Amino acid sequence: MNEIVITLITIAVVIGGILGACMYLVLAERKVSAWMQDRMGPNRVGPYGLIQPVADAIKIVLKEGVIPAHVDKALFLIAPAISMFTTMLAFAVVPFGPVEQAPSWLRFIIAPEVNIGLVFIFAVGSLAIYGVILGGWASNNKYSALGSLRASAQVISYEIPLGMSVLGIVLMSGTLDLNEILNKQAAAGILGWNIWFQPLAALIFYISSLAESNRLPFDLSECEQELVGGYHTEYGGLRLVLFFLGEYTHLITISFLTAILFFGGWHFPWIATPESTYRFAWLVKLAVLLAKVLFSVFLIMLIRWTIPRFRFDQLMELTWKVFFPLALANMVAVMVVMQFGMPPIVLLPISILLFAVFGFFTVTAKRLELARRRRASLAMR
Amino acid sequence: MHWLEEHWLGVSLILMGGGVWWLMPRSWQLPRIIGLITALAGAYLMSWGIKSVGGDLGDTVMFWVFATGAIACAILMITNRNPVYAALWFALATLNVCGLFWLEAAPFLAAATVIVYAGAIVVTFVFVIMLAQQSGATAYDQHARQPLLATLAAFLVLGLLLGMLRDANPGDVLVAKAQSPGVTANLLSQPAPGKTLDDDTMRGLGRSLFGDYLFAVELAGTLLLIATIGAIAIAPRRSRGTL
Repeated sequence: MNEIVITLITIAVVIGGILGACMYLVLAERKVSAWMQDRMGPNRVGPYGLIQPVADAIKIVLKEGVIPAHVDKALFLIAPAISMFTTMLAFAVVPFGPVEQAPSWLRFIIAPEVNIGLVFIFAVGSLAIYGVILGGWASNNKYSALGSLRASAQVISYEIPLGMSVLGIVLMSGTLDLNEILNKQAAAGILGWNIWFQPLAALIFYISSLAESNRLPFDLSECEQELVGGYHTEYGGLRLVLFFLGEYTHLITISFLTAILFFGGWHFPWIATPESTYRFAWLVKLAVLLAKVLFSVFLIMLIRWTIPRFRFDQLMELTWKVFFPLALANMVAVMVVMQFGMPPIVLLPISILLFAVFGFFTVTAKRLELARRRRASLAMR
Repeated sequence: MHWLEEHWLGVSLILMGGGVWWLMPRSWQLPRIIGLITALAGAYLMSWGIKSVGGDLGDTVMFWVFATGAIACAILMITNRNPVYAALWFALATLNVCGLFWLEAAPFLAAATVIVYAGAIVVTFVFVIMLAQQSGATAYDQHARQPLLATLAAFLVLGLLLGMLRDANPGDVLVAKAQSPGVTANLLSQPAPGKTLDDDTMRGLGRSLFGDYLFAVELAGTLLLIATIGAIAIAPRRSRGTL
C-alpha cells in the first residue's frame, strides 16, 4: 500500500489509541485509588462505572471556556496546546509493536527512519516544559507563577539523571534507535533484557520520568494545599483537559519507554520470540507489550496513592545529590566493563553494590545531620 | 534592472538593516509599518538575488519555510518590547534553525540544539525574567541600548558572509583541500583496520569529534568545567542549617 496512506493510518491509530487510553486511565486512576482507600469509586454510569469517561468528556466539552480578563491572551491559549502537542510528538519514534511483523496496513512506528530515536524523545520532552511555564506566566496570578517556577526548576534538574541513566544502555547496544535496542534484547532472550544489566539505571529512569511528568509524589507545581491549583489555577473546561491529556500521554510514553528499554519490549519467552512466526503472532506480541505497559501504568498509580508529596528541597536533593552521582557512577561502570571486555552480567552486582554504598552514605549523612540539629536546638533551650 | 542585478547584495542589506533599525524598540517609536515594509523589501530582494537552492519541490518549500521562519523570528525577537516574548521568539528561531539542520540530514545536531538551546537555555532565561518581573517590565528593559551600532555590526557581518558565499564556488574548496596535503584526517577518526564506517550519522560524528577535533572538544570541556566551578565559587552562601 502507499507509504503515505500507511503513515496516515498509523498516526490515526496512535492518536485515537492514546486519547481513548487517556479517557480510561482517568477512570482506572479513580478506581485504583478507591480500591486502595477501601471505597467504591465511580459506579453510577454504566456497569462498574465503565461509561463514566464518556459522561465526563461530554460534560467537559459542553463547559464554558472562560478566559479571565487579566491574562496574556495569546500565551494563555497556546500553553495547553504546547503541553499536549510536545508529549504527542515524542510518540513519533516509539515502536508500539513488532515493527518487522506489522500487517500490511499498519507500521507500529510513525517515523521508522529516525536513527536518533532516544535523543529525539529527550529533545521533544524538554520542550514540554514550555506549556507549564507559559500557562503559569500568562495566567498573571501569583499561585500560577509560583507553580510554573517550581515546575521549570524541577524539570530542568531531573532531565540530567534521566538522560544519563539511558546512556549505559546506549553504550551497550551501540545504537540510539529504540527498535534496534528492542530487537537486540529480543534476540538475546529473557536473560538478555536490559533490566539484568542496568537495574539501577532502570530505577533512576523510572523515578526521574515520574518527576518529569509532574506526577505525585513530584507534583510540587500544582500542589493543592499550597498553590490552589498551581500553574493551571486559571484554567477550566477543555483547556484544563489539554493539560491533563498531556500529563497522561507522558505517563503512557514513560511506560512504553520503560518496557522497551529495560523489559524487552514485545519479547516474552515461548509465546513471543523473534522465531514465533505463527499466524497473528503480531497480535500476541502487541498484547505482550501492552500488558507490560499497563503493568507499568498500574505501578505508577500505586506509587501516586502510596507515597506522600516531597518537600521542594528534598526533591532537589534527591536529583542533585543522589541520582546525578549514581547515574554518573553507573555510566562509568558500563564504560569500564565494555572497555575490558568483561561479561555484561558483572554489571548486576556492581549496580547493587553502588545502590547499597550510596544508600548507606546518604542515610548516615542524614542521621548525623538530624542529630546535630537536635543537639543545636537543645543547646538553644 | 541591470544595475540592481549587480548591486542586489548591498541594496538589500541597506534596506533590511534600515528596516530593522527602524523597528527597534525605543522611547520615541516611529510608525512601525514603514520599517516593516522596508525590511520585507530588502528580504525579498535578497531572496531574489540568492536564487533558488536546487533539490526537489518538497525540500525547496521546506527550506524557504524554515529559513524565512528563522529570520522573521529573529527580527521579532530583537524588536519586541516584552522580554518574555523576546525569549520565546528566540526559542522559535532556534527551532527553525533545527529544521534547517534536519533538512541537511543532521538530525543529531538538530536534536542536540533543541535540548541545549530551546530546552535548557531559553527555559532558564524565561525563569529569570519571570522571577525578576512579576508585574510588568521596567522602562529600561523596554528599549534597545545601541540600536544603530548593533544593526550596523550585525548587517556588516551578514554582508561579509553573503559576499564570500557569492564569490566562492564549490570547486574552490576541493582545490584547497588537494593543495594542502598537510591537513589530513586524524587517524583516530578513521575506521579500525578491516572495518568500514557506515554512514550512520551518530557514529561518524562521534569518531570525528573525538578524533579530528579531540583537542578542541577537551578544551571546551575544560573551559565549561572551570566556568561551573567559578559559578559555584561566586554564588552567595547561605548560613548553615537553613534551606
